[in-house]
Amino acid sequence: MISVRDLRIEYGRGRRRTLAVDGLSLEVGDGELVSVIGPSGCGKTSLLLAIDGLIKPSGGRILVLGEEVKGVRKDVAFITQDAGLLPWKTVRQNAELALRLHGFPREGVREILRALGLAGFENRYPSELSEGMRRRVGIARALALRPKVFLMDEPMANLDTLTRERIQEIILELWHMYRFTGVLVTHDIEEAVFLGQRIVILSPRPAKVVEVLDNPGMGEPGYRRSPEFYEVVIRAREILGSPEGR
Amino acid sequence: MRQLFHYLFAVVLILLFWSLVSLYFELSRGVALIPYPWGVAAAGAEMWPEWSAAFLESARRFFISLILAFAGGVPLGLFVGSHENINRWFSPLIYLLYPIPPVALLFFLYIAFGVGEAVKVVTVTLTLLFQVTVAAHGAARNISPSHILAVRAAGANSLQLHRHVILPAVMPQVFTSARVSVGLGITMLYIAETKLGIVGGPWSGLGNFIEIYRMRTDLSLAGVVGLAFLGLMFYVILELLERWLCRWKYAGKS
Repeated sequence: MISVRDLRIEYGRGRRRTLAVDGLSLEVGDGELVSVIGPSGCGKTSLLLAIDGLIKPSGGRILVLGEEVKGVRKDVAFITQDAGLLPWKTVRQNAELALRLHGFPREGVREILRALGLAGFENRYPSELSEGMRRRVGIARALALRPKVFLMDEPMANLDTLTRERIQEIILELWHMYRFTGVLVTHDIEEAVFLGQRIVILSPRPAKVVEVLDNPGMGEPGYRRSPEFYEVVIRAREILGSPEGR
Repeated sequence: MRQLFHYLFAVVLILLFWSLVSLYFELSRGVALIPYPWGVAAAGAEMWPEWSAAFLESARRFFISLILAFAGGVPLGLFVGSHENINRWFSPLIYLLYPIPPVALLFFLYIAFGVGEAVKVVTVTLTLLFQVTVAAHGAARNISPSHILAVRAAGANSLQLHRHVILPAVMPQVFTSARVSVGLGITMLYIAETKLGIVGGPWSGLGNFIEIYRMRTDLSLAGVVGLAFLGLMFYVILELLERWLCRWKYAGKS
């Protein structure tokens, strides 16, 4: 489904050149949800941007659905850190945006908004919503495309614990419903363990894969209260080194 | 409604102050050197056809200039502001030309555009154009990267990026700048209409009106009041337009 081989990403030129990702390889199977975790600034976001075709790698290959990535694909959705809602568009216009940009009919958006608990807010502007609701609009915008692949760049960053857990559960539910292939980038260990069938741990910059943890127990909302959950969290924490791993 | 009340209050305050100044001169010099507001109103009413024609003529010129300034300044500012390479070459050019008041070049503008209608519109257009361009240029350089990323990730091409992100993002600043420049624009219009003002009749613009009746103080003050109304009118038009086009900014604030 997604295959990353020997990826290398550099920014800048000459003396200011920085290597964000170097020799990173990763396979994500069909319908698999994988979380990627690593120290902040290690190149996690660069990895996602490259998979989405927004930046051009300087080395290696990326295949999505068996094809080389050349630009943004219509069947790949990207959820950014702060949802990136446009303040001049209403909830409905924001949710329809990806459909509109690709020239698809704007259907099913109302149902998606209702399913995400946003019914009745279609004509509100983002400034009138709570932060948790804004993130859900961001999810709705991605979902409206009915994508086969979901790329998520810390979609729960800077949320309070309860809201964060609620959104994590929404993502889990959606994954059960649609069985999309997902890559979730996060710097939160518990989130990575809650939402990843496998947890890919990256090194500090330039990023490469340090270890991949199997996480067979994930998949139910109650998982975060089970002993297995904590075992994986502790294991991931050990690998990441520092107590918080950030 | 509330705002209307505040405007009425301001009008009353100005009229009161004006009357006091007139009274002061009448008492200290023995003659009403400065006509009272009611005298000016009466003179305006007497010359109503000329006054209203002059007002409409000035309003028409200002309106055309405003449209031209928006139509030229917004795309120019966006284009230069959102392309790093072009910006490097063109922004020094904009900022060099920006402080030059077009009336300083009025003589050359007369040579280029004649002494008729065009030169007045060109003078005001140039004034407003730079204000709008500089505002659009500044705003285009400060667009939130997260908006650009989100829209590009959703599959936008360059045109769609301008349409959905850059243009709406700069509009509030463009409107603020246009509103602030109304006063400057009216000043330029007045100067352009006053120089060679005797060429046209009293009906061919408020500047001409004031220039021609400068010996009749009550009439020339009626022309000045016309300029004040002209400025207020365009200020209100721009304010309403902004509240409509940028309504997202006012969402939830009633």
